[in-house]
Amino acid sequence: MKRGSKRTFLLVAVTLVALIVPIVAASAQRGAAPAGNPNPPTSPVTGNAANGKALYFANTCYGCHGYNGETGRAFVGNWSANLATEENFIRFLRGRANVAPVQPSTSMPNFPENSVSDKQAKDIYAYIRTFKSNAPELKDIPTLNQIIKGASRPYKP
Amino acid sequence: MAKKEGSVNRRGFLKGAAAGAAALVASAPAAIAQQDAAEARPAAVVPTSAQLAADVAAPPANTRIVENPGSDFMVDVIKALGIEYVAVMAGSSFEGLHESLINYGDNSKPEMLTTCHEESAVAMAHGYAKIEGKPMMALLHGTVGLQHASMAIYNAYADRVPIFMVIGNHADSAVRGAGVNWYHSAQDMCAMVRDFTKWDDNPASLQAFATNSMRAYKIAMTPPMGPVAVVCDSGLQEEPNRHKNLRIPKLAMSRPPSGDISAVREAAKMLVAADNPRINCGRAARTANGMSLVTELADVLKAPVNNGGERMHIPNRHPLAGNGTGQPDLILNLEVQGAPPPPNVKSISITALDLFMKSNIQDFQPYAPVDLSIAADAEATLPLLIEECKKLINADRRRFLEDRASKIAEANQRARNQAKEDARFGWDSSPVSLSRLAAELWPLIKNEDWSLVGWQGFIGGWPDKLWNFDKHYQYIGGQGAGGIGYNAPASVGAALANKKYGRFSVNIQTDGDLNFAPGVLWTAAHHKIPMLIVMHNNRAYHAEVMFVQRMANQRNRGIERAHIGTTLREPNIDYAKMAQTYGLYGEGPITDPKDLAAAYKRGIERVKKGEPALIDVVTQPR
Ligand SMILES: Cc1ncc(C[n+]2csc(CCOP(=O)(O)OP(=O)(O)O)c2C)c(N)n1
Repeated sequence: MKRGSKRTFLLVAVTLVALIVPIVAASAQRGAAPAGNPNPPTSPVTGNAANGKALYFANTCYGCHGYNGETGRAFVGNWSANLATEENFIRFLRGRANVAPVQPSTSMPNFPENSVSDKQAKDIYAYIRTFKSNAPELKDIPTLNQIIKGASRPYKP
Repeated sequence: MAKKEGSVNRRGFLKGAAAGAAALVASAPAAIAQQDAAEARPAAVVPTSAQLAADVAAPPANTRIVENPGSDFMVDVIKALGIEYVAVMAGSSFEGLHESLINYGDNSKPEMLTTCHEESAVAMAHGYAKIEGKPMMALLHGTVGLQHASMAIYNAYADRVPIFMVIGNHADSAVRGAGVNWYHSAQDMCAMVRDFTKWDDNPASLQAFATNSMRAYKIAMTPPMGPVAVVCDSGLQEEPNRHKNLRIPKLAMSRPPSGDISAVREAAKMLVAADNPRINCGRAARTANGMSLVTELADVLKAPVNNGGERMHIPNRHPLAGNGTGQPDLILNLEVQGAPPPPNVKSISITALDLFMKSNIQDFQPYAPVDLSIAADAEATLPLLIEECKKLINADRRRFLEDRASKIAEANQRARNQAKEDARFGWDSSPVSLSRLAAELWPLIKNEDWSLVGWQGFIGGWPDKLWNFDKHYQYIGGQGAGGIGYNAPASVGAALANKKYGRFSVNIQTDGDLNFAPGVLWTAAHHKIPMLIVMHNNRAYHAEVMFVQRMANQRNRGIERAHIGTTLREPNIDYAKMAQTYGLYGEGPITDPKDLAAAYKRGIERVKKGEPALIDVVTQPR
C-alpha cells in the first residue's frame, strides 16, 4: 500500500510550539478559526453516519476536532463553506494534494482518494452532520458567568 | 569483637553496639554469602554472583565500629546550607551519608523523601525550588542513579532552576569491592551530565567537600541559576573523620548582576520614546518581588506584558496583561531566550544567559540580533530601569501613555472575555472538554490560597483563561527543556514547598507524563503532601498522534495508523486504581462533565485533611 505525495501543512503548528509558547497564546485554537456559519448546513446527506463514526475515529479526526467537533479546532457552531455540502467536503479533503500540493490552503491533512474513498468521505460527512452543538448559551452557564463576573471586578494589587 | 576507629562519643558508641548486635542475628545463609563475598574481594577477577548481588543482598556483617564517620561531617555541611529536604533513591554508593542523614542528622533539616526513581527525585527538587526560591537536595546513586536522573537535571538546567545534587561514588579502585561497586563508580562521575549541570566537583577530602559544597550552592543560586553536583566518595563517607580542624566556611552568596547604568539609561530612552512597546517575559520573575517589579515597569511605561508561560510576571487580569494592540515597534525581552525580533521591530534584551552558556546542548535557542543587549539579571536590573524610565516621562508623555494604556486595557479585556466565553463550546461534551475541566475547579478553589503546580501547555492554557492569577507562586511554568515526565514529580515537589505555607496545591496532570514514573504518587502519599491531582486523561501521547498524522499525510499514506505507538488504549489505564494502589484517594474515570464538581469536592475534602487525592477525568484530546 504505497502512496506518495509531497506536501506540507501546519496541522500541529499550535502543538509544535506548545512547549515554548506563552500562556496567553497557548490555545487560541477556536479563536483562530475563520468565522463560519453558526448554523449547521441543510444540504442533502447520502452517506451512512454509523460507518462515518468508525471512520471519524480511525482517521483520528477527533485528534484535532474533538470527539464532537466542538473542541480543539472546532467546526460545530462555526461551519465553514467547506462543510456546506458533501461535494464541498470531498473537494476540501482532496484539495491540497491534487490542486495545490505545495501550498496547503488549510492546515488540515490531505485525504486523497486512496486514503479516504468518496463513499467513505460521504459517510464521514453524514456523521459530522449529526453533531449538535453541546454549547449552552452563556447565560445558562452559572459557573462561567460567575467566572466572568469575578474577573471583571477591578484588579487591585 | 567490634573494633573501634576514630574518636568515640557516647551516642555513636550506642549506635555501633546496636549495629553489632544486629549483625549477630543475621541469618546463616546470608552470613555465608557475605563471607564468600568478603573473602573473594581482593583477588577476584571475574565477580561472583554474590558480589554482583552486593546491592541486593544484606550488607556484610559489621566487624568494626566506626566512630565519627566522615559522612557525619558531611551532614554538618548540608545542615549549614539550610537545606530542608533531600530526595533520595537509595544506593550503596552513598550508604554512609544516608545513615548519617537519618541518624546523626536526626532526619531533620534535611528530612529525607523516599522516591521511586532518580528522575522523580530531581524533578521534585525542580518543582520545590520554583516555589521556595532555593535548592533542595537530591541524593543519587553513582553512575546508574545519575543516568536515571539526567533528563530531570537537563530540564532544571534549561529552566534555570537551582538544585543541589550529591552523588555517590567509590573513587578508590584499590579498595573498591569487585562487582557491582565497579559498575556504579566512575573516574569522572559528572562527565555524563556536565553539559547540563552548571557546576560539579569531585572533592578528594572532607575539607574540600565542605568548601566546594558552599561554592556549589553559591553557583547554583547565582543567575542564571542551575543544578550543581558534588560527588561524595564512599571512602570519605565511611572512614572515620580524623581531622581536627575541619572548617565549614561561611556561605558567601553573590548578588545577582544588574545592568550597566549607561546601557539601562539607553534602554529607558528607547522604551519611553517608543509608540507601542511590548514587554515579553521568559523567566524574569525569579521571586515575588520580580513579579511586582515587572508589573511596576508596565504601569510606568503603560506597556502590555506578555507574561510568557514560565513564571508569573503580572496578574493575569491586570489591564496591561496581554499583547495589547497592533504591531509593537519595540520589544523588551526579559530573560527570554533567543527571540529574534520580527522585521522592522526594534528590541532590547536583558538576560543573565548572556553571561553563562555551554556549547553542546542547544538549549540557547536561535541567535537574536537585538538592538540593545544587556548582559545582566533582569529582576536585579528592573529597579534601575524603572527609575530611569520615570525620570524621562514628562507631563506630555504621560498624557500620551495614559491614552495608550486605556486602549491596551480595552483590547486585553476583550481578549480575556472572549477566551472565557469560548469555554462554553464543548461544555456538555463527553469526554470532558478542557475548558469545563478547568472551569468547574475554579469556584471550588478560588477562596483557597491556591497554587497551580502543573504545566498548562497541554491543557490549552484554560486555567490562565478562566482563573484569576495574582501571585507569583500561583504558577511555576513547565519542564524547561520540554522533557516529558517532569510534571508529575515537579508538581509533587512544588506542593511539598507549598505545604508549610498551608497553600492548596492543584495539578492538572496529563496521562503520558504521569506514566514515566508514577511512583511519585506514592511519595506524595507517604510524605503526606496535600495536593489535588486532576487527570487530563486523553488516553494518548496526543501531541505525538498529531505529529505522526502530519507525517503520514505528507507522504500520502493515510492516517489510519497514527494511533500506533502514540495512544494509551487497549487496555485503558485506570488512574483511580493507580492512585489507590499508591495509597492516595482516587476517583474516576469521569466521562460526564456533570459529575465533575461533586468528585472535585470529595477530592478537595481529602486534600484539606492533608493528603494527596487524584480525580481521573477522561478528556477531549485538547
Ligand atoms: C522525555 C520525552 N520523551 C518524549 C517526548 C516527546 N513528547 C512530546 S509531547 C509527548 C506526549 C505527552 O503526552 P501527555 O503527557 O499525555 O500529553 P498530551 O500530548 O496527551 O496532551 C511526547 C511523548 C518528550 N518531549 N520528552
